[in-house]
Amino acid sequence: MIPDTSSGGGGSPTTGGDPLVKLDGVGVRIGSTQILRDVDLEISAGEVVGLFGANGAGKTTALRLMATLIRPSQGTGTVLGADLTSQERYDVRRRIGMIGHTPGIFPELTLGENLRYAARVAGVPPERADEALVAVGLGGAIDRRAGASSHGMQRRTEFARELMIDRSLLLLDEPHSALDRDAVDLVEGLIARTAEEGGAVVVVSHDRDRINKIASRSVEIQGGTLS
Amino acid sequence: MQAQTRNRQWPWVAIVLSLAVAFTLSMVSPADSVQGDLVRIMYVHVPAAWLAYLAFFVTFVGSVGYLITKDLRWDRIAAASAEIGVYFTGLAIALGMIWAKPTWGVWWTWDARLTLTAIMFFVYLGYLALRRTTDDPVVRAGRSSVLGVLGALQIPLVHFSVVWWRTLHQPPSLVRPDGPAIQDPLMLTALIVGVLAFTVVYGSLMVKRIELIKLDDRKVAIEQSIERPVAGEAVTVPDLGASS
Amino acid sequence: MTTGFWHQAAAVVHRDLLRERRRGDVLWITIPFGAIALLLVPLAVGTDAILLRQIGPGMYWVIVMLFGVLVSVGKASNETLPQQDASALLGLDPASGFVGRATSATLLLLIFEMVVGVVAVGLYDISIIGIPWLIVTLIIVAIGLALLGTLTGSIVNSTSAGTALVPLLVAPLSVPLLLGATQSYEGLRLGHSILSWVLLMVAVVLIVAIIGVLTARPLQEM
Repeated sequence: MIPDTSSGGGGSPTTGGDPLVKLDGVGVRIGSTQILRDVDLEISAGEVVGLFGANGAGKTTALRLMATLIRPSQGTGTVLGADLTSQERYDVRRRIGMIGHTPGIFPELTLGENLRYAARVAGVPPERADEALVAVGLGGAIDRRAGASSHGMQRRTEFARELMIDRSLLLLDEPHSALDRDAVDLVEGLIARTAEEGGAVVVVSHDRDRINKIASRSVEIQGGTLS
Repeated sequence: MQAQTRNRQWPWVAIVLSLAVAFTLSMVSPADSVQGDLVRIMYVHVPAAWLAYLAFFVTFVGSVGYLITKDLRWDRIAAASAEIGVYFTGLAIALGMIWAKPTWGVWWTWDARLTLTAIMFFVYLGYLALRRTTDDPVVRAGRSSVLGVLGALQIPLVHFSVVWWRTLHQPPSLVRPDGPAIQDPLMLTALIVGVLAFTVVYGSLMVKRIELIKLDDRKVAIEQSIERPVAGEAVTVPDLGASS
Repeated sequence: MTTGFWHQAAAVVHRDLLRERRRGDVLWITIPFGAIALLLVPLAVGTDAILLRQIGPGMYWVIVMLFGVLVSVGKASNETLPQQDASALLGLDPASGFVGRATSATLLLLIFEMVVGVVAVGLYDISIIGIPWLIVTLIIVAIGLALLGTLTGSIVNSTSAGTALVPLLVAPLSVPLLLGATQSYEGLRLGHSILSWVLLMVAVVLIVAIIGVLTARPLQEM
């Protein structure tokens, strides 16, 4: 079934000329390990940025930094106007979507229950949960346990979550992995729509050819910094 | 240089002097009418117990200080005090047991204060165990500060347990609603001097321990300031030819 | 704390209780484990009815304290990092998350206490006295243990020791609850007022709750 990305929620436009992401000389150290160093990056509304790099280069760390889930150890940065070192970042998290390697859903709950939980926490009407699942082609699996669903179905559920909630910044880590062709179209539809509506998207992928077709630019992480 | 050497030595001098005074007084004070010379354990046991409470209170203050200011100096105070507190709590318990055997006929009585002091010992052992699981000084400080505040809940409970439960253990020797139980002025003096001497020991040990923690932190800061390869540089292009 | 705060906390409670209903950790593992522990004690100390009646109430509360840790730790620490990240990016206030997790742990602990309590009454011939105050005690202990477990679970989250450290941290900190619970039962049995013990336990609950809510954000950042 080809997913219909026209229903469900969408990215909310962010007005103003300030970049959505601005990192100045940002470094991230976890414990005694330096992961990122001297990262300078600006991402404006409407951009789709491809983020590439070798294994262990720090791509996931960069995504989690932009998701405000980790703080910079050096440098300064803002995401959606919130200083990454201050309490402000809690206020903008609701506008940031992230889909990582490992699904962040609860295997004991059904796909529908996972999404309804997300809707309740995010303050979205719960009925949008089922609508979003239908939109991503999982209408027939709403009552299936997430743990009993395939990795691809779990990923589609996460995309449904991002459809359901208005996001200004979407961070995707290997979004195409485990997805069939229909779901890949879903992903690219979501990316395009978020950018069109004034948000921004950062996509980590090893599939440079595919990402370069949809990205407005690409950056490479090498030596812990961006080029 | 001489002034620096004197500065480093003063804590040890203070410790030796104050303990010498306390020891002398404890030896010249009279024996107890019932326990005889056995009572002299009190001059170490009670100050050690007092120090345990003081140390854990300082850990509480240090923990609160860190949570409010995020200044690692507070965390160093809290950590140093917890280490010293664990030592003196262990000493108080051991001496209490040595005192208990001839007095009550058993090493351990399950008396409320003794038992709760043992519990306090484990709370702060847990605190030190938690500190060992985290390398990052800031993360370590934050987590152990929260635990330090929680652990401090034990201290008033330990003290008031005797009053509430009226058990075998001596009622508090000094801090009682109707005044100290010890009537002999020399015994009381020896006990108070002992408490003061141990407080000097505590202060001196704190100075030295905080110095050591500062040096450790400085070492970590130096190591972190050295430009090292980032984690990703450990991953290179595979070379299947290398294995054949 | 806004309406949104409680709404989010309720969502977390609903989520955790659903997860437990599907997993059955408390019902099928922790409760039977607690019951077996109660069964083992007489095998070790003797089956004399008078002895068991004497030690029964205390043994019950010890089992609740030690095994209650497993109930509350399980709920607090079994979220993976991606799950935590996803919840954070839903805008979940860490304090709401704390309150929600502690509440679901409280409800599960109450079930644990009741089922294991029935076993204890049966095996140790414990008299049930002062039912209203007994219920109050059960509730306060459940809340206190849930809060302690949830808070210490957050403290050790992503440390190298992980959940293994939590029982060591919680067990001594739960002593005021243990003493309050056992002395309350003794007081009820002897016809004394137990108000001071109840207030002691309530004080512990309030302090841990306040610390937990205030430190929820800083702990999440670590």
